[in-house]
Amino acid sequence: MKLIKSIVRPNKVDEVKDALEKLGIAGMTVTEVRGHGKQKGHTAIYRGKEYNVSLLPKMQIEVVVADSVVDDAIKAIVSAARTGEIGDGRVFVLPVEQTYRIRTGERDSL
Amino acid sequence: MADVDTGSLDKPNAPPAGLPVLLEEARRELRDDIVLGHGGRTALARFAERFDGLLRHILDAAPRTEPVAPVSIVAIGGYGRKQLCLHSDIDLLILFGGHLGKPEERLLRAILHPLWDLGLVVGHQVREIDEFARLEVDNPEFLMALVDARPVAGDLGLYRRFETAFHHAGTHAHVVGALNTLIDERYALFNSTLYQLEPNVKDAPGTLRDLTAIRWIAALTDPTLLRRGPEDLARLDEAEDFLLRIRSILHLETKRNANQLSHPLQEKTADILGYPGAFPQQRVERLMSDYFRHARIVTRALSWIRKTAPTPVAPNLGQTPDGIVFVDARQAAVQPATWLAAFQAAIDARCDVSDAALALIRQHAERFRVEDFFPTHAHQAALLRFLRPGAGLYARLSEMHDCGVLGRMFPPFQAITCRVVRDFFHKYTVDEHTLLTIKNLERLATRAAPDRERFSSLLQDLEAPELLVLALLFHDVGKWRDEDHATESVRMAQDMFDRLGLTVEQRANVEFLIKNHLAMSQVAFRRDTEDPEIVRTFASLVGVEERLRMLCLMTLADVEAVSLETLTPWRAELLWRLFVDTYNHLTLGYGDELIEPNLAANTELLANRPEDLSESDISHFLAGLPRRYLQLFDREAIYRHVRLARNINPDEVHLGLEEKGAGWELTVVTLDKPFLFSNISGVLSSFGMDILRGHAMTNPNGLVLDVFQFTDQERFLALNANARAQMFQVLDEVVSGRASVTARLRGREESLFHRRALRVKPVVHCDNQASRRYTILDIIADDALGLLYRISRVISQNGCEIDLVLIATEGHRAIDVFHITKAGAKLSEADSLELSAHLQRMLEGTNEAH
Repeated sequence: MKLIKSIVRPNKVDEVKDALEKLGIAGMTVTEVRGHGKQKGHTAIYRGKEYNVSLLPKMQIEVVVADSVVDDAIKAIVSAARTGEIGDGRVFVLPVEQTYRIRTGERDSL
Repeated sequence: MADVDTGSLDKPNAPPAGLPVLLEEARRELRDDIVLGHGGRTALARFAERFDGLLRHILDAAPRTEPVAPVSIVAIGGYGRKQLCLHSDIDLLILFGGHLGKPEERLLRAILHPLWDLGLVVGHQVREIDEFARLEVDNPEFLMALVDARPVAGDLGLYRRFETAFHHAGTHAHVVGALNTLIDERYALFNSTLYQLEPNVKDAPGTLRDLTAIRWIAALTDPTLLRRGPEDLARLDEAEDFLLRIRSILHLETKRNANQLSHPLQEKTADILGYPGAFPQQRVERLMSDYFRHARIVTRALSWIRKTAPTPVAPNLGQTPDGIVFVDARQAAVQPATWLAAFQAAIDARCDVSDAALALIRQHAERFRVEDFFPTHAHQAALLRFLRPGAGLYARLSEMHDCGVLGRMFPPFQAITCRVVRDFFHKYTVDEHTLLTIKNLERLATRAAPDRERFSSLLQDLEAPELLVLALLFHDVGKWRDEDHATESVRMAQDMFDRLGLTVEQRANVEFLIKNHLAMSQVAFRRDTEDPEIVRTFASLVGVEERLRMLCLMTLADVEAVSLETLTPWRAELLWRLFVDTYNHLTLGYGDELIEPNLAANTELLANRPEDLSESDISHFLAGLPRRYLQLFDREAIYRHVRLARNINPDEVHLGLEEKGAGWELTVVTLDKPFLFSNISGVLSSFGMDILRGHAMTNPNGLVLDVFQFTDQERFLALNANARAQMFQVLDEVVSGRASVTARLRGREESLFHRRALRVKPVVHCDNQASRRYTILDIIADDALGLLYRISRVISQNGCEIDLVLIATEGHRAIDVFHITKAGAKLSEADSLELSAHLQRMLEGTNEAH
């Protein structure tokens, strides 16, 4: 079981969501985040004044999937979120030891 | 105040025959009444009417051998109230219906000299009717005396004009305020007690001045107060008659304008008034007992009315501790067009509309239709003023909605009252969501949070923020249907736009905002705004900066009104970035997008063209201008420009000048040449014109179109009959090289080039990336007369050509964007640096008006 945490462009959320749903991955958490990676922001100019845009708006999508679909999920995310330009984002994969359903207390097995 | 000479006579005037006899008869009649103890209200009114006849006699007898302005003799103060005592001053307003020249001065002397010759003390004020356009705030006693104004002789129509000019809420509020101050000062002179052993029956607490004050306050605020007070009106009349009878005796006995009831005069007065008692002391005690009884009644009544009277704030509206009230509820109930004024008054006074006023509106709102609320252009203008975002607007709109009048004024709004649209995001009914958008805008206008200050600055820059509020009010009315509500909202709002008399431009802006109110959030939150094509497409949708600002603010207010959590800092950031990128595209990148020949054959422009313009005239003019031109100007303006551009030759300049709003708009069409822009802006500065906004454009054939909007602080154009011709002649001479603008400006240097502290640190930004064809100079500086001339002169002195210019003024900041080239190409880095340095030095080194 893995947690796949993806940081993508804001306008790519719907495409990533659709791609994951096609794999049967319906549950996800989407969060508005700001940050930077290699794309370290840029200088914007408004009325002759420069200001540094260091933290860029991104969306974070988190899904927990069974080990067997991790590779497909990653491929789907990368394919849906890619534009080929700097700033397309990152995908992180983390191990998940256990999950529980809060309503029933039941331990989940994916 | 009219400045007239009444002191010398061309020819001494003797009193018209019979006047001394008439005066003596009137005085004898009054004296007879007084000695019988009857010198009260009735006798004094009769005496005043005798004087009226005397004045009419004098005016009729005045020689009229030459044309003279209409005149009206007006009794004011005590004489106006018909409380003229035996030795009272005769207070007069002599009112002229036109300018006071020599003939009027002669007439004035013919009125006043007979009065003086009769030995009367005349307190006269002379005014031209137009002087009442301005409130004489420094002369409160005069303003109060005018409350009792009464026409005596002369032109009654002129007197009615005075009444109209004088009696409005602003004047009334000022007079009541000044009166309250004077009452306090007068009371202080008497240690604020009515229990004076030798009272002044005119000035002491509880005497005649208090009675006058009571009547004035009622007349100026709410006449029904006299009936509603703690004292019966008859008792006040009785007190007044008592005090006037005493005052008459004092005048008779002292043979002068004396008003103090001294101990010796108390005995005499008690005798004349017939108080019983074997000894003088007994009679005096009875007199004074009556005096104090009356004085107590008067002071109680004055104290109550001062506490209770509403402060006049508008016709039939007053402010009380409960909020704004209708002074005459019956009148308000049948005049729905005045209701908006109650809400406006609450905004102006930063208070509530009283529960009583709201209840009245709620009770009667259903009886009226939309046309009853906006019957005249003034009512339409009042609505737009009301909608300017500011403190209290949301609260007032909510009150209007709550008492049912919002839906009567704006019928489409009824369709969304309590409308529930179920979706994942919205937390409120559609009507409340709509009002909350306006609350959000109000918050930006009044107390923006630090992270919203950048949006707040956009709101401050808007030329007509009320149109944004109007758009917000209607943006979701189409939600009574489930699909494409934006289009439905536009359809439903049409009738209101007709009724409100919006201009074509205003209407187009509001319709654009309603129709596209979702467009910016869709692009900002769902599109890749780092893609220049996305920004370009969005920029072409909005077209010009003002619409961009409005749409950005509309989006912010709309998203924030969905729920408390919807507008996250993350979304605000995305919105701001899209705004900045689009703004930059509109102001920096527009020079690369030109009207191509096929676009110049704009079918709508050609199809609607006037007969005097050919298709080729229009196409030839448009080809090569920036596409932005078509979004900046409407069809009629474009046709005017085409006419100006026809058959133009080198060194010729074709000009158009028209009033626009509070300022003027000058259109200049000519052929390009070095220093052209600085010469034109220099000429405007040499006439004292302050350039606020404008555009300069050049097409590939060297045709230049400059449009300047400016204010004329010195009113040169308004006050001089040949000003327009003079300005056109100078422009023609300067552009053709026959005259030098520098020489013209030299004469103004003393006044123009004054030094002052910097309010805005000047910014000069030189950009070679934003446009393929131009180097772009972005300049922010303190707005000052002649600034544009000095900037453009420095640019030309550096050998650069000015191809496009955007001129804007926001508050006291001038924001100018120049698209420039040097020898037909962008500037080299060295040239850019040198030019920037020269400009920076000019702006910082002197920062003088120029």
